Amino acid sequence: MFINYEHENHVYNVSIERRDKHYFITYDNTEYKVEAEENKPGQLKIKIGDRIIKSVITEGEKEKFVFVDGHVFKVKPVELTGIKKTEKKEEGDLFSPISGRVVSVKVKNGNTVKKGDILMVIEAMKMEYLIRAPFDGKVEKVNFKERDLIEIGQNTVELKKREA
Amino acid sequence: MDIIETNVDTSIKEYKENFKNYEKLVIDLKKNISIAQQGGGEEKIKLHKSRDKMLVRERIDALLDPDTPFMEFNSLAAFGMYDDNAPCAGIVTGIGLIHGREVVIVANDATVTGGTYYPMTVKKHLRAQEIAMENNLPCIYLVDSGGAFLPMQDEVFPDREHFGRIFYNQAVMSARSIPQISAVMGSCTAGGAYVPAMSDETIIIKGTGTIFLGGPPLVKAATGEEVSAEDLGGADVHCKESGVSDHYAHNDMEAIHMTRNIVENLNRPEKTYLDITKPEEPAYNAKEIYGVIPKDSRKPFPVREIVARIVDGSKFHEFKTLYGVTIVCGFARIMGYPVGILANDGVLFSESALKGTHFIEICCQRKIPLVFLQNITGFMVGRKYEAGGIAKDGAKMVSAVANANVPKFTVIIAGSFGAGNYGMCGRAYGPRQLWMWPNARISVMGGEQAANVLLTVKKDQLWRKGKELTKEEEKAITEPILKKYEKEGNPYYSTARIWDDGIIDPVDTRMVLGLGISASLDAPIPEWRPGVFRM
Repeated sequence: MFINYEHENHVYNVSIERRDKHYFITYDNTEYKVEAEENKPGQLKIKIGDRIIKSVITEGEKEKFVFVDGHVFKVKPVELTGIKKTEKKEEGDLFSPISGRVVSVKVKNGNTVKKGDILMVIEAMKMEYLIRAPFDGKVEKVNFKERDLIEIGQNTVELKKREA
Repeated sequence: MDIIETNVDTSIKEYKENFKNYEKLVIDLKKNISIAQQGGGEEKIKLHKSRDKMLVRERIDALLDPDTPFMEFNSLAAFGMYDDNAPCAGIVTGIGLIHGREVVIVANDATVTGGTYYPMTVKKHLRAQEIAMENNLPCIYLVDSGGAFLPMQDEVFPDREHFGRIFYNQAVMSARSIPQISAVMGSCTAGGAYVPAMSDETIIIKGTGTIFLGGPPLVKAATGEEVSAEDLGGADVHCKESGVSDHYAHNDMEAIHMTRNIVENLNRPEKTYLDITKPEEPAYNAKEIYGVIPKDSRKPFPVREIVARIVDGSKFHEFKTLYGVTIVCGFARIMGYPVGILANDGVLFSESALKGTHFIEICCQRKIPLVFLQNITGFMVGRKYEAGGIAKDGAKMVSAVANANVPKFTVIIAGSFGAGNYGMCGRAYGPRQLWMWPNARISVMGGEQAANVLLTVKKDQLWRKGKELTKEEEKAITEPILKKYEKEGNPYYSTARIWDDGIIDPVDTRMVLGLGISASLDAPIPEWRPGVFRM
């Protein structure tokens, strides 16, 4: 099984597997073979290689306190949550997101533009949609002029990417 | 669950401008609320206190468990109406905790025109009773009112949803085993006498509380009998002779203490089960919402950024992320309660409506409360979309929303226009609560669209007569409509008329929703029974 716990703001990912009377603990690509027994509730005797460690564990409200060799470690289990990878719209695209009317064209053929510059403004359903340059480049052709109707998915501006 | 990743950059100029603009909206909101909460003003307050009476908010404060929140409804009711003579509509309503359980409170403010009922006072009182009914919550009336506001009798007395409905509701609520308690802390005249008379248990205060169908002046006019208010309907009469009241208090504090004792003995049923976890603050600062919402209401904004700043840990399990992308649906927790969220991220297309419908069905079956974050300019129009059946797909969503068995909560976070308002659980679709943000706008369509529609109709009429409009004439038609829509679409116009339950600071959204869900759990969630979906 996999366990994630936090100690001093660092999250450790550990996998533990039990085979016969040994536990195999993998952390940071290294496998440790461990023997452990619980003498009394909360009192552990752990054997790693030749070393024998005695440890006492007490439960706090959220965290556990682990006493080893006169040191106290405060650890708490964490549920690992992934960061949701929203599709970043940063790249943007040059296609109209909606059917509507072009209310403003900000560039002409031959203009050079920077990433994020507004190329065209389309109005539909009471909202304004901005078409932004997805990358630095040169305007090859503006496909619509002001007051034109535009359909969803139509290419607004043909933009040639500037070679880095 | 996974955490929503933010793309908000707080260092850019646009964010800062938006933030500054929004901060001003919130400051204005708080200013307006604090003015309304002062009730009838200094002089009236002084007079009220000289009678050894506590102010309405002091009473509520003392009644509720210490250090627990009071979720007030419609604190800006009647805002800008009746020459601003009825701040808060002269009545304070809300949900608070007594002995750990939610109750609805309806409390008159006698500093506002003697606590008399303006049309909006009636509406606010009825809305509070509706909240008590829907959520199966006990209702406590702190009565201090001279009855109907006589100069406006035609707008408060005769109709179905007028003064009489208050007592009709009391009877119906009682039949549904909803406890009702009255504390008579001032006058309680004419029809108002039925409020305590129809309650389960009633308290009256010696010296200040009076209950009678006709006051001393009316008695004198009718029969010639001269009698003081105290002798006619005071605490001694009603506790010792008439039996109209059950408990005899000597002052406000004692009456409040008795009210708490009554609530302590209500033997309330257990709350409805929901899988509740420990609340967790969002991973991102809620105040950043100020900078996300564009200054210009015509600019769209990414709604996941809003969701991320409302839900526990900013964790969101999204449903159908890649389909019908103009509506964002997903599961999350708010203050530990599980919720299904529907949030607009653009115009509604057929796919978005189908996705919304599917998601609502899931929540209804799993009995998960629904939260609608409404920012909708409508369903997409045009030949292609009509031919694609957007009307029937929209109808599916409207039907699913209407027949949802779970508690629904709506927050209008920006625009609310046209049929989009229906699909996203507008007022008519019975959300347990509906709140607005101060940037919100609500109307049947945008002002510009309405002006253009009406202009086209006019032009067609004239064209048939062989006439045309000049530019000036066109302007004379469109301008007043634009102005009208701007005025009436304003959230203050809406909240004054109780089309919502109040305007809130976006930062408080999470707490307000959490309290709302908690309060909804006194009512059972029935089995789900949908209507016919046109396929």
